[in-house]
Amino acid sequence: MGKLRTGHLVEAGLWLGLCLFLYIYSFEFEKDIEIYKFGATAWPRAIILLMTIAALGQLFHHWKRGDEVSSEIIDAATHDDAEEAAHDAHHEDIKWYASTFGLLLIPFAYMRIPDWIVALLSAEGTTVHLIRIVCAAILIGIFIYYMRRNMVGAILTLPLFFAALLEDMGFYSLAPFFIIGVMFLFGEQRPKPMMAIMALIFGLLMLLFVKILFVGLPVGNIHPFYDIGSWVVTVLQ
Amino acid sequence: MDAFDNFLTGTITLFSDPIGILIFFGGVIGGMLFGAIPGVSMLTLAAILLPFTAHLSPEHGIMLFSVIYCTGVYGGAITAILFNIPGAPENAPTAFDGYPMTQKGQAGKAVGAAVMCSALGGSISCIIMMLATAPIADWAISAFGPPEIFALVFFGLAVASSVGAKTFWKGWLSILIGLMVAVVGLDPVGGIERYDFEMPYLLAGIHFIPTILGFFAVSEIFVQAEKKARGSYNAPKLSVDFPSLSELIAHKWAVFRSIVIGFFCGILPGIGATLAAFMGYNEAVRWSKNREEFGKGKLEGVISSETANNAATGAAMIPLLALGLPGGALTAMMVGVFQMHDMEPGPLVFLNSADLVWVVFAAMFFANVSILFVGFLETKTIINLLRIPFQFLAPMILLLATVGAYAVRGLTIDVIVMFLAGVVGFFLRRSGYSVAGIVLGLILGKIGEQTFAQAMQMLHFEWSGYFDRPIALGLLIAGILTLCASIYGAFFKKKHPTTQMTG
Repeated sequence: MGKLRTGHLVEAGLWLGLCLFLYIYSFEFEKDIEIYKFGATAWPRAIILLMTIAALGQLFHHWKRGDEVSSEIIDAATHDDAEEAAHDAHHEDIKWYASTFGLLLIPFAYMRIPDWIVALLSAEGTTVHLIRIVCAAILIGIFIYYMRRNMVGAILTLPLFFAALLEDMGFYSLAPFFIIGVMFLFGEQRPKPMMAIMALIFGLLMLLFVKILFVGLPVGNIHPFYDIGSWVVTVLQ
Repeated sequence: MDAFDNFLTGTITLFSDPIGILIFFGGVIGGMLFGAIPGVSMLTLAAILLPFTAHLSPEHGIMLFSVIYCTGVYGGAITAILFNIPGAPENAPTAFDGYPMTQKGQAGKAVGAAVMCSALGGSISCIIMMLATAPIADWAISAFGPPEIFALVFFGLAVASSVGAKTFWKGWLSILIGLMVAVVGLDPVGGIERYDFEMPYLLAGIHFIPTILGFFAVSEIFVQAEKKARGSYNAPKLSVDFPSLSELIAHKWAVFRSIVIGFFCGILPGIGATLAAFMGYNEAVRWSKNREEFGKGKLEGVISSETANNAATGAAMIPLLALGLPGGALTAMMVGVFQMHDMEPGPLVFLNSADLVWVVFAAMFFANVSILFVGFLETKTIINLLRIPFQFLAPMILLLATVGAYAVRGLTIDVIVMFLAGVVGFFLRRSGYSVAGIVLGLILGKIGEQTFAQAMQMLHFEWSGYFDRPIALGLLIAGILTLCASIYGAFFKKKHPTTQMTG
């Protein structure tokens, strides 16, 4: 086994699995191009081949040298201490990964589940809005329940969840809660500074992007969020 | 003499028009600010401003973008140095030594070097651009066809694989994943959908602005969150200790080398400042007697990267104006400005709108000079941003990035892509991969495939055709030799004793 660890095998397995998936999917667009004999697949398949070679080379490196930094790499490579931070925070065990990926499923659940329920119930009009609000509320509840157990996982999830909700609930309604959420997850727990900073950041963004640059930000599709967003835009512009 | 007269005319036209002056200074300050504010970049500002240029004259519109280009490339260095968040890919190598300098309490010196070298590199590049536009453009047109550009992309990627990741293999995997992301969408020859997973959004490909924001700005926030979790987040130390003239004179060869590298990378369509900065940095490492000091806060690293990327800005205007070929994201947006005014960039611009060309050249020269003055004043204000606790800065960065990603096309899916890129970047970074490599692969991937396809069509699908093109052959051989040397090192060489994790 040389200096190989389970993590190295998982890493190699992920890369090779990705290569296999991309190669199989490339048959979906294997079509001839009259003026180009290599077709649409030659370039991506060349990349896949190189990725496979690099993944195997990386596995060989791990087998021979473990986690050692390569000699040919400029030392600048190691300036990024993300790996060390992960090690120090004990975020390398399978339990932490499982919990993090569990949290990361929440935004994707919001992107899919309300549509399934709407289709199942053949809902229309305000019922659709209600279903989306209820789904969002339940998923926010689940997120809050689990976030205390894995703060870093929660920080990874919160922006994605914010982005998933953006289309329905709009930037103007969500941004204040998002600001408070990020501050809380970064360890700020004093309510007064949190409220003051939230008002400052939100006010500055509104002034710069809405009042001065007239950037159209998403107002949302669901009542009452759409009304709130439209009201903010009307007042500022 | 003609060039000087034209420059003088351009300068008088620029500074005799009050609206022109206002737009010039707005561009200088806006470019620097948006380049410097973590989470946004000059591209964000340009994307926001693009629709509004329809209300400006073509001279003012193009001049605004060219000024933002010059000062924004410098502005991105500030965040690279202070926060380890390059404002744009061309500032990525600046972070390699700039950020360690900040951690050592030498932020002021690193920023000061970036100010002086950006102004110097940019100004000299502008002067060369004005003096040599016609002959250089003629040479590039005749000597650089698709085979040469493809060969240069290959050489650039081969060089970049040794920077940023923990091992040579991870460096290549990073670049290859970027190249793979660039494949998504329509293929450049037949327009066939690839990896679109039947999602209409993916037909247009994955946009590089949300991806860049995600990989650099968002993943950095996540890494800082993890540091917070282990209780070791340290706000960078502050100082305003600018480098002395003697320190800069001591690095005169690094400056000269980077200007030459930056200019020649900038002039080639589709290559631009990103490769210039990487090559400027790499050459500084290669020529240095103290290679082991790079990556740990060496002033020469910042000087080389910042001189090279600003030297590329002036040169990048040559293919845009002479051939209508954008060298990068911002010059591509400039094509949009031309089109909004029913104009096409290309040789006809020199004939029909010589005034426009020389106003733009004059504005770029003075924008680079103004980096020296405005940069010193503004940087001190920006350094004070470091006093803000990170828990207050993080939501601001994330929301600015959200607005930046959304403003490009008005799609919330771009925001989702950005945060997904942030999550992926976070996991890749903690495993020793290079996000700069991914972004370089993403940007050069499309150009690489397009030029490869054009080259093979030109050469009638015969690889031996490269033997008739000495520049392309030379670049391919240089790329292959670089690769072979790296593979040899990966398999047979012992780890260099001075190569240590710097943390």
